[in-house]
Amino acid sequence: MVNEDADVVARVLAGDGEAFGILIRRYEPGLLRFATRMLGNPDAAADAVAESLVRAYRHLAQCRDPSRLRSWLYRITGNRCRSHLARRHMDDVPLSEAPPAALAEASDAWEILVRSEQVALVERALAALPAEKREAFVLKHVEGMSYEEMAAVTGARIPTLKMRVHRAREALLEALEEVVR
Amino acid sequence: MSPIDPRLHEALDAERDPGELPTDLREAYARLMSAAELLQTTPRLSVATRIMTEIRQLPAPVHWDGPMRRLVRWFGRPRAVTVRLRPVWTLGLAVGLAAMLLLSSQQDSGPTPTASEGIANFIGHFPGAKSVEVVGSFNNWSRGTLHLNDDDHDGIWHAAAILPAGAHEYMFVVDGERWVPDPLAGRYVDDGFGAGQENSLVFVRPAAALP
Repeated sequence: MVNEDADVVARVLAGDGEAFGILIRRYEPGLLRFATRMLGNPDAAADAVAESLVRAYRHLAQCRDPSRLRSWLYRITGNRCRSHLARRHMDDVPLSEAPPAALAEASDAWEILVRSEQVALVERALAALPAEKREAFVLKHVEGMSYEEMAAVTGARIPTLKMRVHRAREALLEALEEVVR
Repeated sequence: MSPIDPRLHEALDAERDPGELPTDLREAYARLMSAAELLQTTPRLSVATRIMTEIRQLPAPVHWDGPMRRLVRWFGRPRAVTVRLRPVWTLGLAVGLAAMLLLSSQQDSGPTPTASEGIANFIGHFPGAKSVEVVGSFNNWSRGTLHLNDDDHDGIWHAAAILPAGAHEYMFVVDGERWVPDPLAGRYVDDGFGAGQENSLVFVRPAAALP
């Protein structure tokens, strides 16, 4: 996948703009999931991802290591999410009250309902975390990144990221336990 | 918020087998992993069409890698050339070359900047480097277009280029892989991709404004 990314980037930079669609198909689901968890709002996440990928296209020649394209795209998207959070309007839906994101395939209405409640519960606990800890938890446990890749995405040092993930786990565990009681 | 047992963090970081955890920690482990699994639900929406529609309106982010670059590479590659000349032709050629050198020494050599261009000097200290080049906003961040030279192998690399007058962002690429800002640039600007990385900034004065 890594070398394939570099090949596709080379095609785009050689003038084949349509090849960028391959990268969109490859990374859009993960970026949307990441942005949705960061912003708590699927519409805002869609805007953030669209803006980020257009920006990535415009500055593709500046991608210093196309074999690490995934980290680069997540970095641009994470940056866009942070900007969005910083300028969030007062009338926006607060993260903790946002409706749960779209659900995966579920076989029947009862399953949908149960899973929806579970997702909403976890999303609220996640939304209560500060943005940096939320980002660290999502990159580690939702996107499955190594700490090295997280450092490339966030620009933070690995010990700092480990601390954020630890604190996020502790806060989430506490929040989830309180709900269960 | 209370700190949790370090063994739980180790298991969550895949540094410890979760099966070795005591029962209470194993339950906490399962709870956090279930939460993460729920968050892995991918939203069922797509912005692919919107993005492709938008980027079709944009100029292509083209690398300078067309026929011209291939031609430059062809000329830059060392090749063995054998020329067989009669002695009398060799003498004539030597006289011709001497005349050309004499003439050219009386004139300014090399391209000169126009009134709206200026000369940018790039100097960097990279001892032990095998190659150093400059990429920047003026060459679309393309590698292979502006190489620095260190002819006397003292670790000080230099190149001069004629650029449009104004501000240009740039970085050095050392040994083809390490991107570093110019420590002597004096001015820097955020590269716009977060993570606090900065590009160097050079201001090129128009030749017309120079004394």
